[in-house]
Order: sequence, then structure tokens, then C-alpha cells
Amino acid sequence: MYWLNTCMPTALEDDLDTMFAALADRTRRAILAHLAEGDRTVNELAEPFAISLQAVSKHIQVLERAGLVSRGRERQSRPCHLEVDRLAPAADWISQHREIWNERFDKLQVHLDRLQSETKKDKR
Amino acid sequence: MTDNTQTIGELIITRIFDAPRDLVFRCMIEPEHLTHFWGPVGVSTPIENITVDARPGGAFETIMVNDSDGAEYPSRGVFVEIVPPERLVWSEPDSGMTTTSTFVQLDDGRTEVRIHQTNVPEMFRSPEAQAGFKSSLDRFAAYLATITR
Repeated sequence: MYWLNTCMPTALEDDLDTMFAALADRTRRAILAHLAEGDRTVNELAEPFAISLQAVSKHIQVLERAGLVSRGRERQSRPCHLEVDRLAPAADWISQHREIWNERFDKLQVHLDRLQSETKKDKR
Repeated sequence: MTDNTQTIGELIITRIFDAPRDLVFRCMIEPEHLTHFWGPVGVSTPIENITVDARPGGAFETIMVNDSDGAEYPSRGVFVEIVPPERLVWSEPDSGMTTTSTFVQLDDGRTEVRIHQTNVPEMFRSPEAQAGFKSSLDRFAAYLATITR
């Protein structure tokens, strides 16, 4: 059942923790925002930042370990690529919880309707 | 005025109920009401499985039961803030999730309920961390939204 995951701390939670840890740094978040627009080489990614190429490379390594970024093999520049699928746990968490609240609220409106029609009957 | 800005691991959901605010608020904190709607489809929450101690620091505990196989899903929460009939905040220590419910009385007698749920890990909860986290993630979250639809 889809909502089981939400009731038990599982791999989903671990994935989110790893992801949040990688995202804890401002530069890394900015790198991901650039990659959301398309693949970039390390040189291209380093351009907007006042830090060394080496420092940018280290940030990219952290993102790679979190699975958020992969490096191409085909060219010497090895362009960086945003791993959109890794975002799925976060996207799932949102949609699962949205589903739970929607179903809860559907039931709540039915309950409220019943309460209010009972009150009207009592007044008669 | 609904703020729909979301970051990863954060949920905002609003619903307008055809009922007065006092009643909707009571439904969210009284077991005799919660038992009718707390479980999503296919899941029940018997009244004896609901503990509500409606004051800051008080318990908010439920055990939902799967209708098909009887599997139980306990949830342990603690109330952080209770302002009847406007605002309700509880946190779940096990998951680190905080849920804030806001109740707004509309002019036509209906009630808007806004649920804001987060499971942002502890280390990101300081105001400075949150500010930085949110601003640069807004674009990222917008992008995330386009691929989940």
C-alpha cells in the first residue's frame, strides 16, 4: 500500500537524510540549480563562483556521492549531469502525504455533513 | 492568501470545509470525531487507539489499522502549540516531522484549513539555515514540481 512507507522510518528517510546533507551547502545548492537547466562541465560550473576549480570539484564529488550528480565518460571534460531520479524519494514523500490528507479531508467533510444534519434535526 | 512555496520534504495542503470553524477545529482534536476520518482510504482508527492531551507538551498518539490485514501503524506526536480555534501544531519525534494546521473562518461561513508539514532534519531548523535553504531551493523545488506532474 502506497502510504506504508510514510508510517515506518525506512530507506526513504535515509535517502532524504543523505540528500539534505549534500544540500546543506550553499555552493552545492547553486551548482544543482545550474544543472537543472542542463549539463555543465566543471569549468562552466566554476565560472560564477569566487572559489578555485579544485574547491568546485570537491563540491561536485559530494553531490556525486549523494547520487545527485553523475559525470559523463564520453568527453575529456566529463560534463556533470543532474540525476533527476534521485529526487524521486522527495517527490514521493510529498505525493504520499498529500494523498493521505486528501483522503482524510474527504472523510472529514462527510463527517461534518452528518454532524450538521443531526444538529438541524435536534433543533426541529 | 495561500503561500504555495514548497521545498523538498515539505508539504502544504489546503481544503475548504462547509462547516463553522469551531466545529472543524474540534474535529481535529477530539477522538470521537478523529475516529471517523483519521485513517486514509482502507484504514481505520478505532477510538480506543486515539490519545489526545490537548495542551502544549501533551500527547497526540494514534494507531491506524489496515482494514484488509489488521496491520497496525502507530504514530507518536506531541502538541507544540494549541490556539483554539485557529492554530494547531504537533511534532513527531520519531520522524522529525512537524505539522502545523491553520483554521480560517471565511465570510460565507465556511472554513479553510491549511496543513503545513515538514520533515526537514534538525540541523536545518535554525532560522539562518532555513532562510538560505529555502531561497536557493525555490528554483530547485519549482523544477521538482514540473517533473512530478
